[in-house]
Amino acid sequence: MRIPAAARPAPLIELRRVYKYYQMGDERIAALRGISLRIQPGEFAAIWGPSGSGKSTLCNLVGLLDTPSSGTVHLEGQDVTTLADDRRSEVRNRAIGFVFQGFNLIPVLSALENVMLPLQIAGTSASLARLRALERLGEVGLAPHTAHRPAKLSGGQQQRVAIARALVADPVLVIADEPTANLDSENAANIIDLMRQLNEEHGTTFIFSTHDQRLLERVGRQVLMRDGEIADERTLEQPKTSQVATLRP
Amino acid sequence: MMTWIKLAARNLFRNRRRSLFTILAIGLGFAAVNALGGFTAYIFTSLEDGYIYGQANGHLTIFKEGFLHEGKLDPTRYLLDEADMAVINEVVHAHPEVLIATPQLHISGLLSNGQVSTVFIAAGRVPSEVRAINGYSRGMTGKIKLFTGKQLEDAIVFGAGLSKGLAEQLKLELDATAVAMAPTVSGQINALDAQVLQFFDAPVEALEDKLMLVTLKFAQSLYDTTSVDRLTVLLQDDAQTESMRALLAREFAARGLKLEIKTWNELSTFYTKVKQMFDVIFLFTFLIVFTIVVMSVINTVGMAIMERTREIGTLRALGFKRRGIIGLFASESMLLGLAGSLLGVALTLITWSGIKLLQPTWMPPQITRRVPLEIYLVPSYMLYSVLLLVSLSLIAASLPARKAARMEIVGALGHV
Repeated sequence: MRIPAAARPAPLIELRRVYKYYQMGDERIAALRGISLRIQPGEFAAIWGPSGSGKSTLCNLVGLLDTPSSGTVHLEGQDVTTLADDRRSEVRNRAIGFVFQGFNLIPVLSALENVMLPLQIAGTSASLARLRALERLGEVGLAPHTAHRPAKLSGGQQQRVAIARALVADPVLVIADEPTANLDSENAANIIDLMRQLNEEHGTTFIFSTHDQRLLERVGRQVLMRDGEIADERTLEQPKTSQVATLRP
Repeated sequence: MMTWIKLAARNLFRNRRRSLFTILAIGLGFAAVNALGGFTAYIFTSLEDGYIYGQANGHLTIFKEGFLHEGKLDPTRYLLDEADMAVINEVVHAHPEVLIATPQLHISGLLSNGQVSTVFIAAGRVPSEVRAINGYSRGMTGKIKLFTGKQLEDAIVFGAGLSKGLAEQLKLELDATAVAMAPTVSGQINALDAQVLQFFDAPVEALEDKLMLVTLKFAQSLYDTTSVDRLTVLLQDDAQTESMRALLAREFAARGLKLEIKTWNELSTFYTKVKQMFDVIFLFTFLIVFTIVVMSVINTVGMAIMERTREIGTLRALGFKRRGIIGLFASESMLLGLAGSLLGVALTLITWSGIKLLQPTWMPPQITRRVPLEIYLVPSYMLYSVLLLVSLSLIAASLPARKAARMEIVGALGHV
């Protein structure tokens, strides 16, 4: 059955015929070829595919880390394609959280200070940022480790800090680039459950770039990329979190 | 703000050795500039005091207009007679800033030991007033005796001091008698016996075999005149020099006197030359320090940016603006500059204390005995050095920091 356009909810993210080219010497490489994609608020979606398929490039464009060669990117209905650099920084700070494969925590800051960072960039007072960061660290099960620097935390704990940091400013969207790639099986499962739980509790939209089959099984939507194009797209019945109560820091 | 300063401070500890070397380079540069600055301040003050107090030349010297240009060819035309001096003294002594005003008459002629003669030039002074000016000396200048033998006295009219070279040339010992000959102001040859009371070093090498010191009365007797050619004025404070010159010039003009007033530094060519020389040395030292500081900071910040490229990408992804990245590295650089400056202050104080403690001596030009070598602490130099080095550190960091801020975020995040 076809749903009338007016009845469809407004997408959180919309890409319209997006192309992205890279210049490698004399050769122009097409990383994305006319991608059009809509992500609805609250989705838990994975972009997957072989290496070089364009999934990271797509995530970078959605996360306003890069600009398309042509086409437009809309976030909450606003065309963000041509925003000035400062304005893009503000949008990223306010609306988008990032979780990186290598955690990318600032090594000289404690777990708490790392989580406070996005709020302090936004100009939030240190006391309020501290309060909210403590709250987020509690949610990811790291309350006893707030004073530890990243080097003193395990890989799983570091990724939890990164998730807390991604969520501390209450963004509408979290982009996670291979979030489980550097984790062992147990930690990877825990991290997937944690993100699923946060997605359900806060309604935050999650977009993953991943190869991880375990993660692909838990998402609500899979977008398969191949040669810079969307090769397949499927919506799955979203399984509820089952192991949240057993999460260990 | 404090968060970013804290972050910058912690980043400096990430590569302790590199930061330490940069801080050391800045600190040593600071200390070198300030130690040299302190030494030159000591030299300038000593030269100034030596000229004003030690040689009793005062702060201001008053001549008849044109004396300095034409006076050597026709000195008698430019003498200040008793009537002029009465007015000048009245004007000068009306100011409490004037401590002493003493006349001089410079003469020249031949000095003979009875067998051979040689040219001499002499300053005729009032010995008691010269000693009074000497008495206002500060620091080392007042403690150094600039002659051997006895001091000149007002009462011993024919007593004279000879530069050592002149005495050697004429083989004159202390208490010996020589004959001074010179044309009087009316053009007749006059001769007077002079009793050698003291030997001294001439302030300029070229005058070593020509210079004499005589009493004013001796000079006036030899020239057969009651006039003088200049009036030396000692002021309460060096800082009053320019204002008093202007004030006295106005007052002399109002009285119809055509005079010119020179300040001590205009007349002390030796001081001016030494100052110019030290200014050039100081400039070279500063340029070397400038280069070392700039290169060290550029290297430190450049390396930090290379090592932390991924971190820069992360901060940018989290919403840090380009100017935030510049600010972060500028803060790190500023802290390097501050830490280096603080180390520099400590090193300067250690150098200063060491010199105070060890009291090394040296033999400066124009002084015949060793005197303590000193380095002055000059707070204004230190303050300017701190401001300059911190500013230099900031400027040096700005280039690599701007480059870091312009990095593509995706490229920075993918940096290995």
